Amino acid sequence: MRYGMVIDLDRCIGCQTCMVSCHMHNSQPPGTWWNRVFTQGAPTHQTAVDRKGELRMDYLPVSCQMCDNPSCQKVCPTGATYTNSHGVVLVDYDRCIGCRYCIVACPYNVRQFNWKDPKKLKSILGDGYEYGYPDDVVEGRRLIYTRHRPTGVVEKCTFCVQYTQEGEDPACVQSCTGRARFFGDFDNPDSKVSKLIQEKPMYRLLEAQNTQPKVYYVSVKKTAV
Amino acid sequence: MKSDEKSLSRRTFLKACGAAGVAAAVGGVSLSAPADKAVAASGPMKSVRTVCAPNCTGCCGMKAQVRDNAIQTILPAADYPETEHNPRGCAKGASMTNLIYGPDRLKNPMLRVAGSKMGQFKFEEVSWKDALDHAAGELRRIMDTYGPDSVGYFVQVAGTGYVHKGALVRLANLNGWSVQGGYDMNGDLPMHAPMTFGVQSEELESYQWLDSKYIMIFGSNVYSTRTPDAPMLKLAQEKGTKVIYFDPNFCATSAEADEWYPIKLSSDAAVALGMVKVLLDEKRYNEDYIKTFTDLPILVRKDTQTRLKASDVDGLKIPFDVPEYREAYVVYSPSQGFIAVNPESLHLPDDILLEGSCSVRLTDGSWIDAKPAFQLLKESVEKYNPDKVEELSGMPANDLTRLARELSAPENQPFHLIYGASNYQWYHGDLKGRALALLPVLTGNLGYQGGGFSTLAGQYKVRLPLASWWVPQEMDGFKPPGQKSCPFAYIANGPTETMTAPYPKKGIKAWIMLCGNPFDQHNLNNKLREKVEKNEIELVINLDFQKTTSSNYSHVLLPGVSWYEKTELTATPLHPYLQLMQPAIDPIGECKPELWIFRELAKRLDRRQEKYFYPEYAEEPEKAVAEIIKLILKNGGAITEGITLEQLREGPVKMKNTSKNSVDGKKIPFYEQIHERKPFPPQSFPEPIARTAQFLKSGRIQFYRDERPFIQLNEQLPIHKEPFEDTEYKIKPAARREFPYAYITTNSIHRIHSTHSNNLVFRELQDDRAKVKMNPQDAKEKRIKDGDYVKVFNDRGEVYGDVVLDPGIQAGSIIFEQGWWSRYTGGSSYNSLIYPFINPTHEVYHVPQMWSPNTSWNECLCDVRKVARK
Repeated sequence: MRYGMVIDLDRCIGCQTCMVSCHMHNSQPPGTWWNRVFTQGAPTHQTAVDRKGELRMDYLPVSCQMCDNPSCQKVCPTGATYTNSHGVVLVDYDRCIGCRYCIVACPYNVRQFNWKDPKKLKSILGDGYEYGYPDDVVEGRRLIYTRHRPTGVVEKCTFCVQYTQEGEDPACVQSCTGRARFFGDFDNPDSKVSKLIQEKPMYRLLEAQNTQPKVYYVSVKKTAV
Repeated sequence: MKSDEKSLSRRTFLKACGAAGVAAAVGGVSLSAPADKAVAASGPMKSVRTVCAPNCTGCCGMKAQVRDNAIQTILPAADYPETEHNPRGCAKGASMTNLIYGPDRLKNPMLRVAGSKMGQFKFEEVSWKDALDHAAGELRRIMDTYGPDSVGYFVQVAGTGYVHKGALVRLANLNGWSVQGGYDMNGDLPMHAPMTFGVQSEELESYQWLDSKYIMIFGSNVYSTRTPDAPMLKLAQEKGTKVIYFDPNFCATSAEADEWYPIKLSSDAAVALGMVKVLLDEKRYNEDYIKTFTDLPILVRKDTQTRLKASDVDGLKIPFDVPEYREAYVVYSPSQGFIAVNPESLHLPDDILLEGSCSVRLTDGSWIDAKPAFQLLKESVEKYNPDKVEELSGMPANDLTRLARELSAPENQPFHLIYGASNYQWYHGDLKGRALALLPVLTGNLGYQGGGFSTLAGQYKVRLPLASWWVPQEMDGFKPPGQKSCPFAYIANGPTETMTAPYPKKGIKAWIMLCGNPFDQHNLNNKLREKVEKNEIELVINLDFQKTTSSNYSHVLLPGVSWYEKTELTATPLHPYLQLMQPAIDPIGECKPELWIFRELAKRLDRRQEKYFYPEYAEEPEKAVAEIIKLILKNGGAITEGITLEQLREGPVKMKNTSKNSVDGKKIPFYEQIHERKPFPPQSFPEPIARTAQFLKSGRIQFYRDERPFIQLNEQLPIHKEPFEDTEYKIKPAARREFPYAYITTNSIHRIHSTHSNNLVFRELQDDRAKVKMNPQDAKEKRIKDGDYVKVFNDRGEVYGDVVLDPGIQAGSIIFEQGWWSRYTGGSSYNSLIYPFINPTHEVYHVPQMWSPNTSWNECLCDVRKVARK
């Protein structure tokens, strides 16, 4: 198994539903976003970008690229960041010591650090209100999902390990309004994701870094900046 | 617990829950955890399907995962029968728990602290008994002092709640209160629709966009405002449908369209009429269709400019009965002479005259000249030649001609035209709509799957007969007086001399607000605030589940519930399914379903009214709701035939009034008129046909209007009129110089009007900044930079925000993203700038929410200035 994701930029409508769904399902505190949707070249989302006289609004969702050659994992001094048997790059919150080398190493800027107690940060949203998948997820002896991460650990997208372990799609895929996001196994040549990257022009972010992401973008109409 | 249940994998478990829908079906089953997963020590997880129903066009099915009476997560239900369609909700729906549990959630009944200043949130928590006693006592006092019609009320988007929202309509009917129709109050009523088609509005369900070959959209930013439906446009494009978009500004929809035309502000009628001229000049129209279904063959008198009535023609027989709300007009056939047109039938000889003129002898012996309306239309559009249209609208002449040919080309049929709310919310929005309506009608597209004319605004629509619940009948000697109607425009503006709507003798003295935030969201809301501060409105009862800006201007806060805390029946235009909200959790705090609240008010107002609200289920509102839904289903006629409450508990059920020739169960607007030759209009619920048929006295699609104000304003046929000339420049000629910018308010993906304004997720995504979008060149001239804090203002009001420079914004426009609560925009609201201009043609008839003055939000001028941050 090599889990990966395909994002069809021709279908992305920039609605940010994947972003918000990810935030809620994974109980991210205010200020933390594992997944973001940008308008390429625009400081404010959904404003026009003048590209040589042509106005454009091209979106780009970015979350952990789930690299086959993950620079974050290489620099992790404790082995907290690891790749599981499905090819998913994860963080063991028990082992993370908060050195943040991985944040520096990641070229995609998708890792985030809990400077403050996330539970306290979330409390401003409502008295006693908790959101997101409620149960801990442990792989082997590694704590790879918990609703309230400890202060001082790094966190990022897990491909919604709480759902994908059960054979369901990640929250971002399930809630994608535009049907632009696909999840599946790249080891299986018949999977939807394997086929999609054959059918349309495909690219990955920052190929030159040789990180070999398992998040692929496909598009006929849109180009990456 | 049975052992086989225990062995369910979590995935099958969730599926089972989704299918069963309700908690009861899975009660007692505990989540079986995989070996390596630590399960928190708490109760079982259940899955509840409900409907997310703020004021969008969605009513998207959502599935809540619930544990310990608390919603943990929300996902799209994705259980619609048509997998291709299957709307998946949006970011707002995905973070709805932030509002359900958030700091602004109203949890207790509250009464304003005596003597506290309006505008401040000074309330004390009280018991339901005290709150209701106070509210009912005050209502009774006001009814006795000023008359029952001095109690005004509004219900926002009835389509999202036939039972609970309907309960207030029922209560108003029992007490003779005055309704402020939400649809005209919101400016959502597209006035060209009653004028042309005799209906409140019509639209293709979004699933039907896939059946169009060619779609023209005039100012509807589908990608930002119809998020769950936007994929249908994409899918249509993937299948080869061409999408042409007209909008002064570059937006998400411009970016996705095949072609985008940044026409001048409110110049759509010029563009439409330019294309009409091409169609007429090149005979690219469907002559049979025009003769059969429109009023264009009807003769118009040259002397009076009114249509020629059969009863005025000397010796003309009228061989049929004419209902009171219809009129028999006259056409001319070379073979049969003058013919009285039966308004209840759509059959005329093939050879009736469309062009030319004739002389007619009237009953008084005089002779007059008359021409078919078609001939007048031809003469009227003569001036809209491509060059002139380019001058008026900025639309390139060559493109105009090419698009007119494309939209009428056989390979591009069916052709569908979408007219957006923001675009018709101009003073001359009706003229633009009437002009645009010519395009799909002249080409014979109305009534065919994937073809026709849609307006997109809100989920206002009552889709089935509801009188069984909304309109109470006499019971045990109590005779309900029935409600009155007083449009919001007259409350904001004061009564006019030309109005046909009733106006309470003493004005509105008490106001009941259900699911609305008018003290932010309605024009002249600063005046509205003043009315409350000066005690001109003596009582404001606010029923909502959140504390909004409007709470600060209320006397009584009655806490209702969200769509995860009750059972409710919904149906909306773009997704024509009957669907249920279902309670995922118990009401928060002391909150109560609205039905319960209205019954408690009713019995306090008049003991005899209690029995209208199922007192046998006084403390079991869910049971009462079930009875009411059964009642509605039973009385829904063909639309609800065979649909049961049990079915609805399982998931969405498509309404049964799908059109006969639709292979995939879609409803085609005007199908019965076009294919069964039933006269126009079809019924607009909840009004009886006579009330709306009077709009189309000929029983035909009507392009020529001869009521007096239309003639006085030279608007018998659709024409182009410039924005601001009849409004801002008229009331203040100096506005041309003093307020050089058009003030346009748009929707954002981060709110549904003012709902979610306080959702922290979206405040973060917007850096907590209300955006004022400007063209970079305009900003340069004003020495304003990106990120500057500015005041946008005119004589009436002001609003504050952060400038975003956007090269897609047309020069001369200031775009404010609407929906922000005043506390985020410097205390004042963006609506304080907007004036409720009333167009006299909108006062010709009065049927609430169907022909009524409504708000032209965008007919507004302003200036902008950099200021110190507040």
